Amino acid sequence: MDAKQREIADKIKNILVENLRLPAEDLTDDAKLFGDDIGLDSVDSLEIIAGIDQEFGVSMMGVDREHFQTIETLSAYVMNHLEK
Amino acid sequence: MNDRVVITGLGLICAIGDNADECFDNALKGTVGIREVKSVEHSQCYTHIGAENNNFVTPEGEDRASSLCVKAAEEAVSDSDIDISADPERVSVIVGSCVGGAVSIEKFYRDYVADPEKASGADVLKMPISAIANNVALRFGAQGVVDNIANACAAGTMSIAIAADLIRSGKADVVLAGGSDPMSSLAYSGFHALHALDNEPCRPFNKSKGIALGEGAGILVVEAYEHAKARGAKIYCEVLGSGVSSDAHHITAPHPDGEGMQAAMERSIANSGISASDVDYINAHGTGTPLNDSSELGAMLRVFGNEGKVSCSTTKSMIGHCLGAAGSVEAVMCVKAIERGIVPPTAGYTDEDVAAMREKAGDFDFVPNKGKQRKVEYVQSNNYAFGGNNASIIYAKEGAPRKLAEATDEKIYITGLGIVSPLGNTAEAYAESVNSGAKAHECETCGDFTSVVDRADFDAVGMKLNFYRKLDKLSQMTCVSGKRALANAGIIVDENNAKKIGIVAGTSDGPQTDIGNFQKGIIASGTQSGSAFLFPNTVYNAAPGYLSITAGVKGYNVTCSNGAASGIAAAAFATRVLRTTQNDVILAIGADEDSETVHMLYEKTGAVGAGLKLGDGAVTLALERASSANARGAKKYAEVLGSGFAHCPVEFGKYGCADKLKEAIRLALEKSGVKAEDITTVMTCSNGLKSLETVEKEALTDFAKAKKVNVKEACGEGRAASSALAVAHAALMLSGDINDDAGEYVLAVSASAGGSYNAIVLKKA
Repeated sequence: MDAKQREIADKIKNILVENLRLPAEDLTDDAKLFGDDIGLDSVDSLEIIAGIDQEFGVSMMGVDREHFQTIETLSAYVMNHLEK
Repeated sequence: MNDRVVITGLGLICAIGDNADECFDNALKGTVGIREVKSVEHSQCYTHIGAENNNFVTPEGEDRASSLCVKAAEEAVSDSDIDISADPERVSVIVGSCVGGAVSIEKFYRDYVADPEKASGADVLKMPISAIANNVALRFGAQGVVDNIANACAAGTMSIAIAADLIRSGKADVVLAGGSDPMSSLAYSGFHALHALDNEPCRPFNKSKGIALGEGAGILVVEAYEHAKARGAKIYCEVLGSGVSSDAHHITAPHPDGEGMQAAMERSIANSGISASDVDYINAHGTGTPLNDSSELGAMLRVFGNEGKVSCSTTKSMIGHCLGAAGSVEAVMCVKAIERGIVPPTAGYTDEDVAAMREKAGDFDFVPNKGKQRKVEYVQSNNYAFGGNNASIIYAKEGAPRKLAEATDEKIYITGLGIVSPLGNTAEAYAESVNSGAKAHECETCGDFTSVVDRADFDAVGMKLNFYRKLDKLSQMTCVSGKRALANAGIIVDENNAKKIGIVAGTSDGPQTDIGNFQKGIIASGTQSGSAFLFPNTVYNAAPGYLSITAGVKGYNVTCSNGAASGIAAAAFATRVLRTTQNDVILAIGADEDSETVHMLYEKTGAVGAGLKLGDGAVTLALERASSANARGAKKYAEVLGSGFAHCPVEFGKYGCADKLKEAIRLALEKSGVKAEDITTVMTCSNGLKSLETVEKEALTDFAKAKKVNVKEACGEGRAASSALAVAHAALMLSGDINDDAGEYVLAVSASAGGSYNAIVLKKA
C-alpha cells in the first residue's frame, strides 16, 4: 500500500468507526468486512457507499461485491476512481 | 362478557381525500395520490414523490401527527354520533404511530443547530409519540385508557386489535382507535437511505422497486356491541380476532420465507373461529419493496391458495405507505368494503403485468386498477413492521358466524426479572445493591443516575459485536435486560416454546438520542444523506425488535408509549395478552435512556430546573401463566393481581388531578379483590417535581399505614424503566430477595405527564 492508498484506507477506516460503530482495533486492512471477522450486512454496505461518496466523491453504488471485501480492496477501488 | 365488538364511526384523511367517503370513492376509481412531495426538501434525492395531503394545513402551534389524528377523530366521532361526555371514563383512546412528532422534531433541531438557546421546550413536548393519544383525549375529554402503540408500520392494525381487547376485557365501552403519521424528512430520508423508496408510483406485488411514502390518519370508533345497540348506533361491521407475531430475524427486512407473516394471518383466522376459505378480501401490507412483496405473497399463497377465491389488494398503490397510520387507513378501506359490498383495487397494473402475475401467482386476484363488486363478509387486514413485527385482524359483517378464542382466568406470576439499572445490571446485582445500601452510578458530566452496559454484559448474555454495535443505548439495555430475565426465569428458548413467548414493551421517550442524531445528520448534509445505519434505531419498537432477534422469541410483540407510567402499563397489558392469546410468557419491559440529548430535552421542558433528577435503564418482568409456570416448577417472585388506569385530560406535559390517581387505584383494588387496608406496601412515583408530589400525597391518604418505597430516590426518574423497576423491586421484596418485608399485598402506582395514571397490585406468591 503506497502513501496515497494508506491515506484513503485510514479515512475509510474512520468512516467505519464513526458511522458503523466498529471498534478501531478490529479493523485491520485485510479483515473480512462481510465475513466472519466483522460481520457487516447490506444496511452497512449502504452506509459505506454513502460515506465514501461523501468523503471522496466516488460512487460505489452497484459496484461488484469483491471491491467491498476489505479496507484494502475498498481503498484500491477509491484510489483508481478518484478524479485525477 | 362483551364478546362482540363493532365499528360505529369512521374518520380518514390521506393523499386521496379529506374524509372516509371521499377516500374510498377515489380508491374504487384507482385514483393514485402519489405526486411530487412538497413538505420535504428532496432536490438531491434519487426520487421526488410521495403521497401527501396538501389540503390539510397544520394549525399554528400544533404538531402535524396530532392534528391529523384529531381531524380524523372528529370525523369518526361525528359519524358515530356518540356523546363522549355522557360517560367519559368508559371512553379510551389508542393511537398507533411510527414517527410521531417528526415534523416538530425537525423544527426543534433546525432551531437547535442554528442556536441552542432558540430551540423551544414547547416543541420538545410535541416530539414524542406519547403526545398524540393525549391530545386526542384532551380534545374529546376522554378519561378511559389512553395509550399509543409504537410498532412502526404495524401500529395502526395493532391499535384496533388492542381496542377490541380492551372492550372484551371490560376496560372500556368505546375506543377511539387508529393511527397517525405525517410526511417527514425523518422518514423520507430514512427510507431513501435504505434505498426503499421507488422513483415511480409503487405497484406492489408487481414491478415495484420500493415504497411510496404517504401520510394520513385513520380513526375508527370501536364499540361494545351492547353499548352500540343500546344507543341505537349505526353499526358498520364487527371486529373479530387478531394475530400478532415476531419474525425474530432482522431489524428491517422480513424473513424471506414469510413464516412470521403467515403465523399472524393464521392466528387472526383461528382466533376468529373461521377458516381461511371464509375470507373474501385481504387488504395486504403490500408496500412495494421487493423483499416485503415476495415474502408476503408467498405467505398468502400458502394460507389462501392460488385459486382466486379471495380478492386481495393493496391500497398503498394509491395512498402510499402511511407507516403507523397504514393499518388504520386500511381498516377504514376494509370497513367501507364490507358496508358497500365492493373491494378497492391495486393501482398501476397493465394487461402485461396481469399476465406476468398469473405466471407467479396463478389465479390469485389482485383486483387490478378498479374496485370490484363481490360478496364481502369477512375481511383480513395485514401489516408488518420494522423489528419483524407482524399484525393481522379480521373484520366481518354484523352477525357473521364466528367463534372467538376464549379468555382464560389463569393466575399470572412474575417468574423472572432482568434489571439494567444505575444500581446494577442483573436482578441479583440490583437486590444486592439495595440490601447493602450501595450508591447508584451517577453520570459525571450531567449528574443524572445512569445505567452502564458494556462488553461484559453483552458477553454474559451472548450478544456478539456485529449485533450489539448497531444498537442504541435503549436497545442495548433492553436486550440485556430481556435476556437476563429469560435466564433468571430459567427459560431456554427453543423451537417448541419460541412462538409462545412474547414481548410487551413500554417506553416514554423511545430512542430520542438516535432520532436526534439522525435528524441532525440530515440537517447538516441534506435529506439525501440520511444514515442507513441509524434509521432503523429511530423507531420506538426497534429495542424490543432487537430483543426478539437476539432471544429468538416469536410470539406477541407490541410497544406502547404513554409517558413514565409505560412500564406499569406494559405489565398490565401483558397480563391481558396472557389471558387472551396463545402466549405462555410475556416479557413486560419498561425502558428509557438518558444521554446528553435526553438531558438537554428535559432541560428544555423545564423539568430538570424544577427538581427532576433523570435516570435510565431497562427492566423486564417475565410474566407467566400459572399452568406454564407450574409445569416447569418455576420460581414465583409474586402474583400479579389486577390493574387500573385513569386519565385526566390535561395539556400534554402536565400531571393530572389526584382524583384520577385515586380512580386508577380504586379500579386496581376492585379488580384484585383487595381492600385499601389490605395493602401493606405502596411503591410510589414522586420524582422531585412538586406538582406530582402534591397529587400523590393527596391520592394516597387511604394508605397512611402502608410502607412506602420509591425506587426513584436511588435511581432517578428513569421513566418507563422506573415504573417497571417499582414492580420488579416489589416482587423482590415479596420473594425475600430484598431484605425489606413488603407484607402480603403491594400496590405500585405511576403517573405520566399528560394526565395518565396506572396502578397495579402484586401478591406474595
